[in-house]
Amino acid sequence: MVELFPVFFIFIPIFTGIIIYLVKNKHVTSIVFLSQLILAVLYGFYVYHYIQNPNVAYIVLGGWDDKFAITLKNDTLSLTFIGLSIFMWTSVLFYTYKTNRIYHKYLFFLMFLEGIFLAFLQTNDLFNLFIFLELITVLITILISYKKNGPSLKAAIYYLLLNTLGAMFFLIGIIILYYTYGSINISYLQENIGLHQNHQMVKLAYILMISGISVKSALFPLFTWLPKAHGVAYTSLSALLSGLLVKGGLYLFIRVHVYMFGYATYNMTEVFFYIGALTALVGVVLALVQKDLKQILAHHTISQIGLMMMGLSYGYGLSFTGGLMHIINHALFKSLLFLCAGLIIYEYKTKKIYAIRGVFRSMPITSIFLIIGMLSISGAPFFNGYVSKTLIKYSFKAEPFKMFLYTLVNVGTVTSFIKFSQILFGKKVDLEKRKDAKQFVSIFAIGLLCIGIGIFYKPIGSFIYGLDLSYVKLFDLKAWLDYIIYIGIGYILFKYYIDKDYKPVQVIRSFQMTFETANYLFIFYISSLSFILFYLL
Amino acid sequence: MSPLIRRISLVLLLGFILFVFITSISDFSTIYNDDGKLFYYANGFQDTGSYNYVTGIYLDYRLFDSLFEAAILLIAVAGVMLISEHSIDEKNATFMLDKQKTPELFITFSRLLYPIMLLFGIYVIVNGHLSPGGGFQGGAIVATAILILYYIDITKTVNVHVVLTIEKILFIVLVLTASLSYLTRGVLFTNFFRLDASLDQKAIFLTLMNILIGAKVSLGLVAIFTAFLKEGR
Amino acid sequence: MNPILSFIVILVGIYGLSVSKNIIKSVFCITIVEAGTILLFLNLGAYEGGVIPILSSLGIEIVDPIPQALMITTIVIGSTITSLALMLCIKIFHHYGSIEWKVILKGDK
Repeated sequence: MVELFPVFFIFIPIFTGIIIYLVKNKHVTSIVFLSQLILAVLYGFYVYHYIQNPNVAYIVLGGWDDKFAITLKNDTLSLTFIGLSIFMWTSVLFYTYKTNRIYHKYLFFLMFLEGIFLAFLQTNDLFNLFIFLELITVLITILISYKKNGPSLKAAIYYLLLNTLGAMFFLIGIIILYYTYGSINISYLQENIGLHQNHQMVKLAYILMISGISVKSALFPLFTWLPKAHGVAYTSLSALLSGLLVKGGLYLFIRVHVYMFGYATYNMTEVFFYIGALTALVGVVLALVQKDLKQILAHHTISQIGLMMMGLSYGYGLSFTGGLMHIINHALFKSLLFLCAGLIIYEYKTKKIYAIRGVFRSMPITSIFLIIGMLSISGAPFFNGYVSKTLIKYSFKAEPFKMFLYTLVNVGTVTSFIKFSQILFGKKVDLEKRKDAKQFVSIFAIGLLCIGIGIFYKPIGSFIYGLDLSYVKLFDLKAWLDYIIYIGIGYILFKYYIDKDYKPVQVIRSFQMTFETANYLFIFYISSLSFILFYLL
Repeated sequence: MSPLIRRISLVLLLGFILFVFITSISDFSTIYNDDGKLFYYANGFQDTGSYNYVTGIYLDYRLFDSLFEAAILLIAVAGVMLISEHSIDEKNATFMLDKQKTPELFITFSRLLYPIMLLFGIYVIVNGHLSPGGGFQGGAIVATAILILYYIDITKTVNVHVVLTIEKILFIVLVLTASLSYLTRGVLFTNFFRLDASLDQKAIFLTLMNILIGAKVSLGLVAIFTAFLKEGR
Repeated sequence: MNPILSFIVILVGIYGLSVSKNIIKSVFCITIVEAGTILLFLNLGAYEGGVIPILSSLGIEIVDPIPQALMITTIVIGSTITSLALMLCIKIFHHYGSIEWKVILKGDK
């Protein structure tokens, strides 16, 4: 019976959503909490059985020959992601429950998205993966356009058209692999890819799949859909999108590039490192010039994804583990920041960063958690950002140019959060508070996890990944000194340049990329990657 | 940059991708792999009980895919209805074609065609495992037949909320029927008769699934088209 | 020859996406790209003298049935995305009064 738990993970949220939609009663919506509880209990049992016997995690649906049927497979990577998703969805449901009890359709789409995302993480068949990719695109489009005002519709159609184009290219890659190997089972392809890997057709399939994945995970030329989509949605949805669903693209990258093709097959490590570094720098520059509270956080997500790509491109060792840990840590502290920002925007009724002052005196509990989030994201010791950022720089600590890029990204991060922390200072403002204890429960749980991972990283590292993380030292004098220097440089940069709002800052802020330019850059990306792979390597 | 330079560079980049594709496909037949086709040709009829191999694949070997294809139709219909909602709650949709504007020729031909198309659509759905056809294809034909009613009679109203409710219930019934095989055979998402049952018994499962999928697809397409017509008033 | 023509159809669709100034034209170009993909999949597996994959008492070589089953799903997905995108276009026209990308992306401060 334990083998069937993956199927239960998929269908319990879907059925919950349909029941909520059909029975339009206010009190029946509390079954969402019951279903989350059932999911958590089943997840606990499943992990316990998996530790004793890893073979329980591979099931063939229908009992046919597993080279030609659909299979579901779980391993450490997907189980970590499943645990994180169940936790994030529970927090978001606590946060948004009181206002959304009457919005049956919103809860229906949200629970359906949870079921489909859990299925996306577990499937072992390439065409099934494509169907789930398209389903996630359609669901997120509907959820973004829920408010039905001008900016939401604009963001929704931009997101839909660009991501559908990326998924179509992913499908062309799958077609070529099917005709070459006869099967679209990922485990089978992982063992047998070495037969034809140097043929030009297989290299073309690799390029097309990587370009489809780059659109989904918002890498350098193709990230323009992200600030629009994450800035105009409801706050609970923005927390979920920035925290979890954009990491789906990075999960696909790990499955296709690192596991299925093998990270050493085509020697593309340096290429992906520089793409990641470029993404991180462009993201942090754009984040520094924004005036809207949620847009700063949304642009900042782009730069953190670049940082994760800098770690994941190595494919093995401590940098790769650092990238994986940064995925989990970023989900936690970015959603913490988004949820606190949502509370602040609701009370102050404005989104502009220059109009909000005095948060520390008016809303003390919220501002404490906001400070925890800001310290985590900038890499202060004792918080979880420090662990993952130190691990990422392990593989290239001997190369000065790469360390220079890494330092630039960190300084930019600290500067943008000094700009963000402007809202804390000032006098007390008279506000009418909304009394909802459940929102504070979710913020408190996430904040506690941030501090917990920051202090107890050694047992977690050896238990989940089997690696020794003693490279990261909590009381390293050089790390503390680095952090204080970053704060100093960031403060000077902010005070004398960005706060004055010079002409270049205004030019960068009003930069809008049209849809045609985005497609032109997509073609340019495919041609340059194929030129590098075919003729230079 | 100026539009002319941009278009020329675009054509050059696309030409480069085409050149890469042509040089790769010239010796593709050396690595072409036949394993999938030979497996289905050898085992398809005995395992699934359907003469049509394609129906055997999407209703037995890859039933999991078809369930989520039905789910994406459900989501798209719900999304289109959500986006097109006006602030006044209108449960019924009326047609925008006015009786005086539709020519008599259209109305007469639609009256002739409607029963023939409906019958043809139901034939394609039910005979999916014996001849080319199946649930998805037949569902589209039945949806087109119902939409021809728009030409015949403008006072016909369609209650869209009832259609959406029936569609969701059909989805739950579909998933439960597909998972019935766990009780009889010990594996999920396949035919619930045993592997050595007779051809007629296996055909019961195939026909039932085809009818459910066909009903779901046709209701969904009718709802989407009705939502678009409502917008046009 | 046939797979190369299908790939040209896909490239024509992408060229259209990069130069169209109208939202409805962009939606049409996505439909063209999807049609080209389906043609490519079916053409790579077809050959002279193959028959449809239905069991008959003659022992002739059949065409591969897997591409046809997968492409049924792809056609349904493509049609749902087109309908969703067109409904969004209608609503954008109600809000902004025009369906050109330039006017819409200019923003509404």
